[in-house]
Amino acid sequence: MKYMIMTFGSAEAGVEAMGREWMLEMVQFMRALDKDLRKAGELVDAQGLADGSQAKTVRFEHGIPVPTDGPFAEAKESLVGYWIVDVESEQRAIEIASKIVAFVKQPIEVRRVMDAPPDF
Amino acid sequence: MLREQAPQVLGALVRRYGQFDACEDAVQEALLGAARQWPKEGVPDNPRSWLLTVASRRLVDQWRSDSARRRREETAAALEVPAEGPPSEQDDTLTLLFLCCHPSLSVPSQLALTLRAVGGLTTAEIASAFLVPETTMAQRISRAKERVRSTGATFSMPPASERGDRLRVVLHVLYLVFNEGYTTSSGPELNRADLTTEAIRLARMLHEIVPEEGEVGGLLALMLLTDARRDARSTADGSIVPLDEQRRELWNSSQIEEGVALLTRTLGKVPVGPYQLQAAIAAVHDEAGSAEETDWPQILALYEVLERVSPGPVVTLNRAVALAMVNGPRAGLALLGTLDGDDRMAHNHRLEAVRAHLLERAGDLAAARDSYRKAARMTASIPEQRYLALKAARLVD
Repeated sequence: MKYMIMTFGSAEAGVEAMGREWMLEMVQFMRALDKDLRKAGELVDAQGLADGSQAKTVRFEHGIPVPTDGPFAEAKESLVGYWIVDVESEQRAIEIASKIVAFVKQPIEVRRVMDAPPDF
Repeated sequence: MLREQAPQVLGALVRRYGQFDACEDAVQEALLGAARQWPKEGVPDNPRSWLLTVASRRLVDQWRSDSARRRREETAAALEVPAEGPPSEQDDTLTLLFLCCHPSLSVPSQLALTLRAVGGLTTAEIASAFLVPETTMAQRISRAKERVRSTGATFSMPPASERGDRLRVVLHVLYLVFNEGYTTSSGPELNRADLTTEAIRLARMLHEIVPEEGEVGGLLALMLLTDARRDARSTADGSIVPLDEQRRELWNSSQIEEGVALLTRTLGKVPVGPYQLQAAIAAVHDEAGSAEETDWPQILALYEVLERVSPGPVVTLNRAVALAMVNGPRAGLALLGTLDGDDRMAHNHRLEAVRAHLLERAGDLAAARDSYRKAARMTASIPEQRYLALKAARLVD
């Protein structure tokens, strides 16, 4: 079963606020985590996204799609990056997310990918 | 078929050299070589000895490299080669199945290793069936083999006292492979349908090896009787067609016949197990000329036995469906109520889906709509979500 593990944040709360030391530690942490997941044969995909300030949102206005600057959600936080893992259970996905949370000390969302066979 | 040779070649190799993971890699390479070469140059007179020769050569090549030799020396001590004379090829295949479904492995690893070492599928094929990158699948398989090695498991039959439990794990793995492939639509999911075919092939092979094991026959019958409805259970666009609306002329009658015959031979011979009972239930459905002719009292009786043999909330849920067909929807709903406090069902969408269906039949349409919506939010299957959401939409007043 596949899960998407998502981190959210904003430019202010990220790189700029945390300082150099933390940055370097984080890079190492993320590399180690990716390596572990890869070695376990659980990693499907992992990507970091460009800062939300660089996002475009395409809206439906006056009957046509119109691109505008900025992220979709009005909230300060937007999607920063994600992992897609293929694991034995939800418990294992939560275990992976917990490792990340223990390091970043920010909440993380774990969502099931709709890959189950139908049950009929 | 080329892949049929895989477990036998691997078995012979492991008995000779005693190193499961290296031998397995060598066999995989030999199979890939055969898939490249044979279509061009023709199938050799003795395919098995061709594969055995090529695989042995790969193994020796690999051992020539220093690091590999060192590892061989380290692991040679850990791996015991059974000393007795060559067992039959069938024993080899069974031993392999036990090893690939070793209880120390995670379920995804058991599936992957079984499909490669026993099924002879390539890493790329397994990766594409499970929709993960090939490197991920390669890593999963190699980690699984490492794990098998580190537990000290040997290429030998488990002791008689453990055999029942170990066989149950093997059957569960084959069942999961089948289930993984039992999706609805065509297109990119075609690969998954191949998993169904592969699960049936492996179950058939296992049944030939241990015909005396009733549950093996039961599982094979269950697969045949369920897969027989494949063409009828979804439309061309991948939408689900529920059992009572399926066009029964699309059911595969020869597969049903085979499943029923198998079940008849199996039942009554041994203490009855859950796969046999589920197969018997599938057979009752398959043998009904129309949904209305379904022998629900018989299905209810079978679920009652199943609940005694292998109790659990999912069995109770299914019994509630049968009970509703025999005694009316309210009787089914009352039984569903007993599952409400069950933690194991708290995240199971089927409880809500069945409740929705029974509420609809009882005429409580507003409550039915709410339950369909709730079930649609809980499922992790896209076709099912669509089906449930449409059911709810149809009930909007």
